[in-house]
Amino acid sequence: MQYDRQNPAFYALLVALIFMAVGPIVLMFANSFKLDVDIISGSSGLLFLPTIQNYETALCDILWYEPDHLDFCALKFGGAFINSLIIALVSTVLTLVIGCMAAYALVRFRFMGRDTASLTTLLVRMVPPAVLLVPVFGLWNNEFCLDKDGLIGGYIRDTFGGRGDVCLAGTHSGIILIYVAMNLPFVIWILQSFIVQVPRSLEEAAKVDGAGPFQVFFQIVLPLIKPGLAAAAIFTFRIAWNEYLLASALSDRNTKTVPILIVNNTSEFNVEWGVIMATGMLLAIPPIIFTLFASRQIITGMTAGAVKG
Amino acid sequence: MPEIRLENLVKRYGNVQVLHGIDLAMAENEFTVLVGPSGCGKSTTLRMVAGLENVSEGEIYVDGTPISHLDPKDRGLAMVFQDYALYPHMDVARNISFALRLQKRPKAEIEAKVREVADIVGLTEFLHRKPGALSGGQRQRVAMARALAKDSGIFLFDEPLSNLDAKLRGQMRAELAIMRQRVQKNMIYVTHDQIEAMTLADRIVVMHGGYIQQQGTPEELFKRPANKFVAGFLGSPPMNFLDADLQDQGGTLHAVGQGFSIALPASKAQALGRTAGAVTLGIRPSDLNFDPGAPDAAAFDLKVQVSEYIGAQSVLVCQTGGAQVTVELKSETPIALGETLRFAVRPEGLHLFDRATEAAL
Repeated sequence: MQYDRQNPAFYALLVALIFMAVGPIVLMFANSFKLDVDIISGSSGLLFLPTIQNYETALCDILWYEPDHLDFCALKFGGAFINSLIIALVSTVLTLVIGCMAAYALVRFRFMGRDTASLTTLLVRMVPPAVLLVPVFGLWNNEFCLDKDGLIGGYIRDTFGGRGDVCLAGTHSGIILIYVAMNLPFVIWILQSFIVQVPRSLEEAAKVDGAGPFQVFFQIVLPLIKPGLAAAAIFTFRIAWNEYLLASALSDRNTKTVPILIVNNTSEFNVEWGVIMATGMLLAIPPIIFTLFASRQIITGMTAGAVKG
Repeated sequence: MPEIRLENLVKRYGNVQVLHGIDLAMAENEFTVLVGPSGCGKSTTLRMVAGLENVSEGEIYVDGTPISHLDPKDRGLAMVFQDYALYPHMDVARNISFALRLQKRPKAEIEAKVREVADIVGLTEFLHRKPGALSGGQRQRVAMARALAKDSGIFLFDEPLSNLDAKLRGQMRAELAIMRQRVQKNMIYVTHDQIEAMTLADRIVVMHGGYIQQQGTPEELFKRPANKFVAGFLGSPPMNFLDADLQDQGGTLHAVGQGFSIALPASKAQALGRTAGAVTLGIRPSDLNFDPGAPDAAAFDLKVQVSEYIGAQSVLVCQTGGAQVTVELKSETPIALGETLRFAVRPEGLHLFDRATEAAL
């Protein structure tokens, strides 16, 4: 096998790009095994005595033993991790379910205002999430509430405790709802382009074969847009997992997600860099696993062989 | 099996009317071919029967029951699509059994049926392949097998062979003809290929511009076309058309045009019911024969321009008085290019059409 000799500048550029991509992660990984002293001193570079103390601090609420260096477990990583998982997974699933149906309707059905609806979904995506923050915060805290003396509200208060009316703010549902709303336009937009590629005659063949509208959708269309669903899932999961701004405003002590938890480590007096790095490494694992799993579904040429040769 | 009847079928897209009242009855176990050029409404008609297009006006009856309000799945018919429309995420067996699985038939029955139809179309060894791993001809067979598995009495084909190469198309055409003898079903077949129409059909329905031009057996349509369109559409190479005027010359009616004056046989002349007027003379290329000694009243003098050798036959492209005429001959006939030669026409090969209405006379 003979390779063309490339310009050295080409390799220099490649190295620079790789360094830019991998560098921060390597730095984070290395620092997560350092004591804060080593990190701050800055002189040691890559030569240091590794310690898992930071990870012990981060995971203190789910470890089976009590780390020696801690007298109080302040960080509830386990709880936040589960919150993050619930919020990211549920919002991803909801976004995909609603998104694929909406996209299908926009592509296949002819109804008044279809083009407007299609365009509007994309325009909504252009609104920065920060703009949503204030109105949503107000609505979630004051408008979407169940009276604590009411039937359902009363039941929830009796079961889960707490004071005041039962509001969306501070609940998993509140955050999930806003994430779904935020990600839905883009997912609809991605899936539309996949659904357009499903040959119409496949759906017609299924209809003639005796399939009803839902059977056509679930047995023919959905399997064929799996790559699109996977791409959309990666996208949605990643955003929901990393989102900080809305989650910081809408979550409470019990529902905060991992990104919020990390920032909680900074205080006026002290920034625990080592713990932040360790938590950051832990934060990065689920999206990586999720992406590896989902990207397996992205097989190009799913519709190969459907229609003529 | 069932009898299908279309009554005054009309299709409109907005203000554009594409079908103008189609009346058609298809008897039991008949193989009906709808044939016509692109955009003549043949596919639309078929899709309306299948339930994939709404009926704007008129009604479709199956065994006397109106079905145009039913969903495709409730019409109990099977269809083979032009582009095969195989489900790419299912293997061949699952493609074939899709309809049966939707009907929730017992597993053993489904398996037996899949094996049976796979055997008919010769796919037994490919049952576990995905469509993507099959050749064009094999995909075509899967599409047929899928339709066969449904056990419905009505079989619809929407240009099923048009995506195959010429050799494969001929082969599949023959297989279709064999399959047609094995399975007794009412088949409607749409094609723009007149050879498929002629070889497969019990009844050909020639469509053009949203109207039925003529229907009948292939032989009827070939020998007695109802108008100039049908005459020109069926037959290959197509019929020659020459402008002519009817003239009475010494008691016999002649069709006189530029460079020819052909005497019409007495029976034909009588049937015409007119002795003058502008007509179009239609002659099939195979009805002309090289004959230097033919009399003036039964011959054309044609200047041979091109000879297209196609094996046993050759097609000569000739010129007479401004019009082009093709002649089909045995290849061994000695023909010199560029010469003007005399070709005799068989009297029964003369077709006359009114020049204005294009109807056969």
